[in-house]
Amino acid sequence: MTTKDAMIEFRDVHKYYGDYHALRGITATIRPGEFFSLLGPSGCGKTTLLRTIAGFEDISSGAVLVDGRDMAGVPANKRPTNMVFQSYAIFPHLSVEENVGFGLRRDPRSKDEKARAVAEALEMVGLKGYGKRAAHALSGGQRQRVALARALILKPKVLLLDEPLSALDKKMREQMQVELIRLQRQVGITFILVTHDQEEALVMSDRIAVMFEGEIAQLADPETLYRRPNSRKVADFIGTMNFLPARVLEENAGAVEIEAAGFGRIHVDASQVMGGATAEGATVGFRPETLTILYEGSAATDRESMATIEEVVYFGDMTYYDVKIDGTETPVRISMRNVFGRPVLDRGARARVGWSPGALVLFR
Amino acid sequence: MASSSGKSAEGRSEAASGLLLVSPTLIYAVLLLAAPLVTVLIYSLSLEGGGFGFDNYVTAWSDRINQLLIIRSLTVSLSVTLVTVLLAYPVAYFVSFYVKPERKSLWLFLITIPFWTSYLIRVFLWKVILGFNGVINSGLMSIGIIDEPLQAINYNVPALVMTLAHAYAPFAILPIFVALEKIDRSFLEAGRDLGESQLMTFFRVTLPLSMPGVIAAVLIVFIPTVGDYVTPDLIGGGKLPMIANRIEGTLLKQNNRELGSAIAVGAMIVVAVVSIVFLLLNRRFLKGAK
Ligand SMILES: Nc1ncnc2c1ncn2[C@@H]1O[C@H](COP(=O)(O)OP(=O)(O)OP(=O)(O)O)[C@@H](O)[C@H]1O
Ligand SMILES: [Mg+2]
Repeated sequence: MTTKDAMIEFRDVHKYYGDYHALRGITATIRPGEFFSLLGPSGCGKTTLLRTIAGFEDISSGAVLVDGRDMAGVPANKRPTNMVFQSYAIFPHLSVEENVGFGLRRDPRSKDEKARAVAEALEMVGLKGYGKRAAHALSGGQRQRVALARALILKPKVLLLDEPLSALDKKMREQMQVELIRLQRQVGITFILVTHDQEEALVMSDRIAVMFEGEIAQLADPETLYRRPNSRKVADFIGTMNFLPARVLEENAGAVEIEAAGFGRIHVDASQVMGGATAEGATVGFRPETLTILYEGSAATDRESMATIEEVVYFGDMTYYDVKIDGTETPVRISMRNVFGRPVLDRGARARVGWSPGALVLFR
Repeated sequence: MASSSGKSAEGRSEAASGLLLVSPTLIYAVLLLAAPLVTVLIYSLSLEGGGFGFDNYVTAWSDRINQLLIIRSLTVSLSVTLVTVLLAYPVAYFVSFYVKPERKSLWLFLITIPFWTSYLIRVFLWKVILGFNGVINSGLMSIGIIDEPLQAINYNVPALVMTLAHAYAPFAILPIFVALEKIDRSFLEAGRDLGESQLMTFFRVTLPLSMPGVIAAVLIVFIPTVGDYVTPDLIGGGKLPMIANRIEGTLLKQNNRELGSAIAVGAMIVVAVVSIVFLLLNRRFLKGAK
């Protein structure tokens, strides 16, 4: 890959904390102008990986390249990256404008021009007129905006964000997600976001790297990640997926014929066959919304199975049904949009469940 | 109505129990702090022929010796403060930033070791080291570098400053250490991230954020050293009195309570003024840090 397509390049990056192997051979490329997310459970090494880009963490082996340049030996203050810290790290002894202008000390521009740049940066993050405020007199959301302005004013090549939204309440978080996307499009800078919230990653990112225990399990765009997770672990981490045991009957150039209890014989295309099976053997996976309960007059689906409704969870716009398909042991979850005029079914009712072989994935 | 009177009764009993709780402290504060202060104030204002006035102050502070002594006291204590804080800061910085968390308490413990012996013994120790027949002089003489004892290291202000700075070092290290410990390390990373070197990050982030500890250290060292009278006596050999020695002499030896009190109150005012200047400087410094 030429450097033109790579803003960040990890080449077999390893990191040890004493005996603890925190990063286990990370190889990945982040493109210029991309909104990239590092997603994974707590302790998987997301922050560590982000900090190797910023220069706060030395790597044990491998290489980290920013815009084609190896960062080995380049101190944090000399790197073309800036960071929004999880705690925001807004200097408490400085005012808002002093915080935003902190990195401009060596900027050759005149004092007036710098003041204008600070005012513009504050306006960009929606804090026009807040410059004279003391840093400690800000709310969490405002602090975050100051942190963004302080980093973006330096026009970095890459902006690093470590769980920037985790300290905000749900409403504020959703608002900031939209604003971050808008801001990223406006400035065109590569954003790298660390998060453990899969929904946040799906909403915001162009591409996502899912990490487990110091390794990247899958790197893909949100849709691929959701529809074609490459292992049960990834499938489990992102959204909900139903798993049912399956038996492989025959194999033909990547495509397989399987037999799954309750579903019968299914032809699975090569693109739907993934690795990452567990000791139980082959498994088929369905997202809840790929199964539908068929009402009278519903459009026909490729295949149908009969089932009994075991549990009904009503969410207003959605209803979740846990149903047991005839011939299976474990219930599967189905999510249905509550369309006007369509009754919510009761527990114990019998139902026809429609599905399509193209929507499933096979882990083997 | 009933509920509101019930509430106020409760409030009263709460206030009463609060008073009861603080009363030992209050009695202590009144008896040991306020009462002596008021007594000294009254003495300083009492006139010989009865009545009150500022005559004692005029007498005390028009005396050239008193003027010289307060200047010497301030010079000594400001030098001690400067030396102590400048030496204490790197120690506190080292313990806070470079010592592993599990070792920090051990280091603090080691720093307090000099306090295990009494202050007097420590002062005598310095006398043994710096004195006329002390370790340094006899050492230098025995290897033939000098022929007779150096006067320069004994009975002078630098010797006083050295002794006092040693005595007050832990008092200065601890508040600075606490202030440094309280600084979130992500502030320092933010400083680096925004393009500043380690040194500039220190001056723009670490130092301003640790200023409360530095000011505490300054006051803790400055205030008691102005009034010290044991060290000048022992190290200065009686030749380098400070203002406290003068107060002692006037109050006890000359038995002139009125004049002694006037010197004491005057010295107190000077200390208070200097301390307030420090506090204001700190505020200016924090505001001005750009
Ligand atoms: N300074 C350190 N010394 C030793 N181990 C560390 C250090 N920093 C991180 N670790 C370990 O490395 C692993 C990865 O840490 P990291 O902070 O990158 O996780 P994370 O994915 O960001 O998790 P979280 O979502 O909880 O922030 C963790 O198991 C952690 O305990
Ligand atoms: Mg983290």
